[in-house]
Amino acid sequence: MPTEEARTAIELNVNGITHRLDVSPRWSLADVLRHQLGLTGTHVGCEQGVCGACTVWLDGLPVRSCLMFGVQAQGHQVTTVEGITPSTGLSPLQTAFQEHHALQCGFCTPGMLLTAQALLDRNPKAEEGEIRAALSGNLCRCTGYQFIVDAVLAARDAGRDA
Amino acid sequence: MDQAMRPQMMGARVSRVEDPRLLSGQARYLDDVDVPGMLEVAFVRSPHAAAEIVAMRLDKARQHPGVFAVMTYDDCPVMLWDRAEYDIGQPCLAHGEVTYVGQAVVAIIAENRYVAEDAAELVEIEYRPRTPVLDMREAILERPRRVHAETSNVFFHEEYATEGFSEAFDRAPHRLSATFRTNRQTAVSLEARGTAAMIDAASGRLTVYASTQSPHRMREDISNLLDIPEQLVRVIVPEVGGGFGMKANCYPEDIVVAKAALAYRKPVKWVSDRTESLLSDVHGRDDIHDVEVAFADDGKIIAIRDHLMADGGAYPAYPFSGAVGETSLAARVLTGPYDIAHLATVIDCTYSNKVPLGAYRGVWGPIASFIQEGLVERVARYLSLDPAQVRRRNMIRPDQFPYRNAAGMPYDEGSYLASLEDALKLIDYDGFRRRQQELRTQGRYLGLGISAFVEPTAMASSEAGSVGYESCTIRIEPSGRVTAALGLGPTGQGHETTMAQILADQLGVRFEDIVVLHGDTDSAPYGGGTGGSRSGPIGGGAALVAGRQMRQRLIKYAAHLLEAGEDDIELGHGEAWVAGVPDRSISIRTIAQTAYTDVKKIPPGLPIGLELTERYLPKRPVSFSNGTHIAEVEVDIQTGIVRVTRYVVVNDCGRLINPTIVEGQIHGGVAQGIGATLFEALHYDRDGQLTTTSLMDYLLPESTDVPRMVIKHIETPSSGEGGIKGMGEGSLIASPAAVANAISDALAPFGAMVDTLPVTPAMIRAMVS
Ligand code: FES
Ligand code: FES
Repeated sequence: MPTEEARTAIELNVNGITHRLDVSPRWSLADVLRHQLGLTGTHVGCEQGVCGACTVWLDGLPVRSCLMFGVQAQGHQVTTVEGITPSTGLSPLQTAFQEHHALQCGFCTPGMLLTAQALLDRNPKAEEGEIRAALSGNLCRCTGYQFIVDAVLAARDAGRDA
Repeated sequence: MDQAMRPQMMGARVSRVEDPRLLSGQARYLDDVDVPGMLEVAFVRSPHAAAEIVAMRLDKARQHPGVFAVMTYDDCPVMLWDRAEYDIGQPCLAHGEVTYVGQAVVAIIAENRYVAEDAAELVEIEYRPRTPVLDMREAILERPRRVHAETSNVFFHEEYATEGFSEAFDRAPHRLSATFRTNRQTAVSLEARGTAAMIDAASGRLTVYASTQSPHRMREDISNLLDIPEQLVRVIVPEVGGGFGMKANCYPEDIVVAKAALAYRKPVKWVSDRTESLLSDVHGRDDIHDVEVAFADDGKIIAIRDHLMADGGAYPAYPFSGAVGETSLAARVLTGPYDIAHLATVIDCTYSNKVPLGAYRGVWGPIASFIQEGLVERVARYLSLDPAQVRRRNMIRPDQFPYRNAAGMPYDEGSYLASLEDALKLIDYDGFRRRQQELRTQGRYLGLGISAFVEPTAMASSEAGSVGYESCTIRIEPSGRVTAALGLGPTGQGHETTMAQILADQLGVRFEDIVVLHGDTDSAPYGGGTGGSRSGPIGGGAALVAGRQMRQRLIKYAAHLLEAGEDDIELGHGEAWVAGVPDRSISIRTIAQTAYTDVKKIPPGLPIGLELTERYLPKRPVSFSNGTHIAEVEVDIQTGIVRVTRYVVVNDCGRLINPTIVEGQIHGGVAQGIGATLFEALHYDRDGQLTTTSLMDYLLPESTDVPRMVIKHIETPSSGEGGIKGMGEGSLIASPAAVANAISDALAPFGAMVDTLPVTPAMIRAMVS
């Protein structure tokens, strides 16, 4: 038997493209992005607001897409990992992540990238302590964080030289 | 030197080929698998630790819009374990009774997860609760009752003693006793478990996507348990977001999802949420050790006696009971890197009304190291000796190799003393002691903890199963590019990179021209999967052996086509040439074209094409890595909060395939060890409710909890292929003991000694008051 779940029509701007969608009002933004728009780079690690794997930007600021409803993102600019990836190759931060082995299983990585990029955009001179503090809301079970911190430091320095 | 012995890629800090897809959000994990019409599963789980199921009312759930089916045991009457090995089996869906909180009872299959969860709430189950069995020591004595009426609680018992143990123990000048306790923890891979199953329209076979470390074993289990011929099952492992041993098991949910896809002829997917993961992923580390140690005046340890107990949970996890794994291996490696002549062990593994105990990275090791290093620390303090000195006095000396420990385990050569001395230097041991003294006078409590460890790797059997070998298929395509496949099950270790490094050297082709496949039983040769630190030494060994075979074949081609002697052929950068005459060369591409299309030119005696599979079974039953970790901590005695301030690692895992990847593994293992020592514990209340069901209750280390680590490598090659030893677990084996000893050292003025993991702020407050 199919559901007769109520749906709401919304306009959602994701990575610069406006989508017209019928969404169930109770679907999280993460689920709308992943399962309605096929943007599966945003990962869901807890749905409890703790792990940060689902981090996206809302109007340029990191938010947890598991903690908000898709309908709440109407009228905002949503950016996902797909949106910070250049059309060819990798961004300087992504390149630094590869060069410094800042990822193993990769599940935390999109959230880490969005959190770290937002920090560098806000504070291009961030010191290690500030970087660690900014990343402390993003859990990584594989890397022990050191190479992630190294990658962010390297991207910071590359940005400075540029 | 033979050219193949001068590797270019093996040992190099190559960046990973896996990374671009992961960094750009293009990788596909289990929940990203989506096909039209896919249904999703939600499980109704037991709210009771122990209860009889009196009645189930499923009509409301069945009638809920969007629900496709509701399954109970009757729809999937499958038992894990065939009762041959243990006296009981675990039903994939509860059958007449529930035996732990979180046990799957009913499966709701609906058009999406939201709807399935709605319907799950409409299921009414009437339970008649029973007294839960929750205390390990009581359970061993069959109190308050048997968990399973038909069999005793103790499901594994083993005793061992070296000859002359009692005399040696009784005659020793000093004896100490201590009880060590590790509390339940779990892997918490950031990607939770999940399974998707569907019937492949073209072939009619069952395709199962599984987030697992052991693809071939998963296929075997599904085939056996659901009685489907093995050739009609294909297991595909997508990107896996961490496993750490926990994904080596076959779980009830895997079987239910496969069964649903078969029964209803629909694609079906289940992805665990975090609460389910904490309630149903295998737990680890629920152990108590009653230990006695006997030693001489100079700190030389003479004998260790240990009663090892583990709470295995309601069932032996399938097909690897963590309780048996944790205790039986701990009993065999309890002497660690030390030359201790006498050992006596008694093991008791018991059932309880808790989640089954399975594998979590390091399995036995973090527990055994905690004990072995805790004992050394106690001996040193009792005799007022320097703990580093006591370690030197007891350590296996270089002239003792090949060495067999008191439990009969054969050790390979290692750098036991050297790694200790290097680590002491790296942390500036003497300088630290001075600083520690000074700061103590200011009321600051710094401590330093040493943990010398051994890591038995590449064992004939492990949580990855009892496949002692690994397989590698190499196919050089007609274009000269290489497709290789192994039976491994990586969960972030970067095998596509490391295996390609090994193959590039052997085949003389460019690293970029190789692709390494894994995790699809249709393309990968049969193998044991990833676990027990076996993929580097055994998988890498298979790549080496297969690569060498293919190299020989390429040399034969080149010699024949260039009209030169085989001994004179060299390979590299996609070319073969006559040594010293680089002009006389032929590309691997041309050789490949000859092998497939110009078959008249194939050298006599060689088969058509360039494809082979080789298997590698190490001669040694086990290969020992070793090393020393030293942690520095500062303890705030007012709050009980511990900060890990410095950390050094000297690691010896034989020949390195990729030092950067090895360092990443070490960093991650140390972070998990810090979590294991300071934060992570699964708590059951008096009714058997698990109270830690979110990551707000089960705390993982964050970026601010883990210090910068300094790592030094020593390379003592194994006698196996490539000299490679395993290393995936050593860092988590060593680190809890290092941090725990550092806390004991910091609190030495209070006479405190850590004997329980994790050490919480409340425990520290109690120790100092
Ligand atoms: S999935 Fe959103 S914080 Fe973990
Ligand atoms: S790389 Fe696996 S969780 Fe961060």
